[in-house]
Amino acid sequence: MSEPIVSFHHVSMQFPDVLANDDISLDIYPGEVFALIGENGAGKSTLMNILFGMNKPTDGSVVVKGEEIRSFSTREAIARGIGMVHQHFMLVPSFTVAQNIVLGCEPRVNGFAYSFSAARKTVLDLVSEYGLQVDPDAQVEDLGVGLQQRVEILKTLHRGADILILDEPTAVLTPQETDELFAVIRRIVREKNMTVIIITHKLYEVMAISDRVGVMRQGRLVGACRTSEVNEHLLASMMVGKEVLLEPFSREKPADAAPAVTVSDLFVRDDRGLMSVNGISFTLRYGEILGVAGVEGNGQRELVEALTGLRKPVRGEITVNEQRATRASPGRIRSFGLSHVPEDRMTTGVSRDATITENLVAGKEGRKPFSFLGLHLRKGKMKQYARSVFDLFDIRAAGVNTRVGTLSGGNMQKVVVAREFSFDTPVLIISQPTRGVDVGAMDFIHRQMMNKRGEGCAILLVSADLDELFRLSDRMVTIYEGRLTGEFDPAVTPREEVGRSMMGLTGEDRTRFEKTAAADTRDT
Amino acid sequence: MKSKERIQYLLSLGVSILIALAIGALLMLVSGHDPVQGYRSLIEGAGFIGPRKAQAIGNTLYKSAQLIITGLATAVASSAGVFNVGGEGQMYLGALGSCYLATLLVGVSPWIAMPLCFLAAVLCGSVYAFIPAVMKVKLNINEVISTIMLNSVAIFFCAYMAKGPLKTTERGITAGTQRISSVFQFDRIIFSNSDVLSERLRMKSNLTTSVIWIALITLLIWYLMSHTTLGYRMNLSGQNSRFARFIGIRADWLGIVGMLISGAMCGALGMFENFALHSRFNPEFSNEIYFDGMLVAMIMRYRPLGIILMSFFFGALKTGAVSMQQDIPSELILIVQSVVIFLMAAQEGIVARLRVKHARKHPSIAKEVG
Repeated sequence: MSEPIVSFHHVSMQFPDVLANDDISLDIYPGEVFALIGENGAGKSTLMNILFGMNKPTDGSVVVKGEEIRSFSTREAIARGIGMVHQHFMLVPSFTVAQNIVLGCEPRVNGFAYSFSAARKTVLDLVSEYGLQVDPDAQVEDLGVGLQQRVEILKTLHRGADILILDEPTAVLTPQETDELFAVIRRIVREKNMTVIIITHKLYEVMAISDRVGVMRQGRLVGACRTSEVNEHLLASMMVGKEVLLEPFSREKPADAAPAVTVSDLFVRDDRGLMSVNGISFTLRYGEILGVAGVEGNGQRELVEALTGLRKPVRGEITVNEQRATRASPGRIRSFGLSHVPEDRMTTGVSRDATITENLVAGKEGRKPFSFLGLHLRKGKMKQYARSVFDLFDIRAAGVNTRVGTLSGGNMQKVVVAREFSFDTPVLIISQPTRGVDVGAMDFIHRQMMNKRGEGCAILLVSADLDELFRLSDRMVTIYEGRLTGEFDPAVTPREEVGRSMMGLTGEDRTRFEKTAAADTRDT
Repeated sequence: MKSKERIQYLLSLGVSILIALAIGALLMLVSGHDPVQGYRSLIEGAGFIGPRKAQAIGNTLYKSAQLIITGLATAVASSAGVFNVGGEGQMYLGALGSCYLATLLVGVSPWIAMPLCFLAAVLCGSVYAFIPAVMKVKLNINEVISTIMLNSVAIFFCAYMAKGPLKTTERGITAGTQRISSVFQFDRIIFSNSDVLSERLRMKSNLTTSVIWIALITLLIWYLMSHTTLGYRMNLSGQNSRFARFIGIRADWLGIVGMLISGAMCGALGMFENFALHSRFNPEFSNEIYFDGMLVAMIMRYRPLGIILMSFFFGALKTGAVSMQQDIPSELILIVQSVVIFLMAAQEGIVARLRVKHARKHPSIAKEVG
């Protein structure tokens, strides 16, 4: 094997409360695709941020291309040929593709003036060199997520990167877009001998794309090996430290129950004032889980906010338990018998400055046994209740007086789920319940949802995770650009078909898509 | 975890105070004063030693009570997410309103008149706080700016009334309303400890029976903030209004309620000040009383119990400073006060740094926490 291009020697990273990286030694070789996997909070991103110069390790050293890094800064890292594409893109929406790519190292005329034509030419050269098709004149805000990611990759290539770090690149992509991304990765590795490090927690992607894989758990590197020597089961148990299998649930078809929520011809605007829900109608019945599949940003957020009263719809009708919920306040809609696990737990789902107890009781503080006459707060009862939930949901924290803001994503989500499920309402609107949640907590939350289904609750599940939707849904609909584009029975539908519907591809579109997909495969 | 945080906070608060006092001592030395003598007269002035102990303690308690009311008034509004900087103006209007009513109620039994005056003070204060609160909640106008501006409006309006339309007919008084009937006034309750002196010569402290009212209000507000559903909901609204709305709490409405309570408390204090010490509305009664309380509240992070305790410390410091003035410029005590606040603001960052350093040396401890 050749000399490693990147090596970490006993790297540790200490944050005030957490040891995020614990004595990590790892070599990465030129021309390989290295997958770094682990649950959330395992320290993957921290390690890569060190390589990209965003964090200075508290201990150990990093050697890039035979040279030890002494001063950690992103400028230094870029100079060494390291490029990183973050989970959240760092692009200027109102600029064109070309302007974004050259931003920071613009081509100059006479060493001074910015030359737009030179920028355009640079980008066209890059496009033909790497075969990454984008229109240099398109505005970034008009592009889909997949293309924006491509622009990010081109940006790093323009800066001369030959080590490319991708932080959870597929989190926001459809299956098709993921395939396209993988084709691009294979090409730049094979043709340009680049080194790609990809952070992910999806195991099948690791198997599909990587040459070698490193598994992290609780800040430690559990192991690194050739991908061909392992399988998904082995990786999963390495990740969580025990055998975990997300087995499918056995279930009976829900009987044709009464409608719990009906939505007809709903139109909702987003924060920018654009119509992002464009005439959606559906019925949710008791005893079923209705899954809403879609790439993020296609109106799911606005749909859920309209259903739960957080956003006023422009037009349309919503009924919850036979009561008119259109334009009602969140508190009023809750009183109709609806609870809500919001997609954004940090700012909507919890009060981070409040304790676990306070968060668990919120919404029930005026009821028995937590209050006397609705005025006096019985703190002893609150604490007693919180303790029982704390144990039941296996929330990992020092105690019920811990501030929720200090919890990890998974534990914070358990607090949200515990509170919302304890309202015992017949209708549950659940949005991205397991995003950023580790496998153990995910399984737990899924089981809780199945229990609720068994009790006869009507559940609307909005998720960007197809695995989750296929595991839980009785029925699935796809949402694309604010419209429902298809309805499926997850038991008999292949993933690809749902994926296509998520992209709004039906009929003639589909044949066109298949052509381009075929062309892509030929390219690689 | 939470109690550990609290202990840590109190510890660093103590250290900050000690450092501030040390800096104060250093400044006395540099400016050619004896720090031992300086702090001695400070403690004497605050009433812990010396011949005028009782009177001085009375004054300290009086100042502390002031700080408690204004501090809690700040905290109530802040807990609901609205920052009330307008307590001074609310206090003025409460004072003027109650004093004016008192002059109209001459001859009425104090058992009826006093509650009525109190009601007037509370109403004036809270109505005046309602304006910026509604502007904040409904029109999203920054309450810090609007309350500061409304302070000037109220203070100058009251000064005008006291010098113009409502001016007393008494001679020798340039500004102030009619004298309030003595049956409505609060009696002073702590005297100098010298029994030998005749009644006339006994030194009275500023502490009056109004302190009983203040104690009741304090108890009520403390209970409201920490043991009622209303306080709990206000807290959640203040912490995260989006979450509050999501869970079904009317966060905007509670922001207004917080301001109303805050304004009511300020109005009441305005009444006590004037009824007790000036026996009329005196447009110069307040030397920025509210802002001292606001500082205490901020130092104690709006925690009711902390504010109450800290008010006694600052009350002693402020009262002691007055007698210290005889030997040492009172600006020094202002410096000490500022340094404490400065260090308190800085302590969060300093503690965080120390914790990282500590964790590097003892990684095993850190892991348990993580």
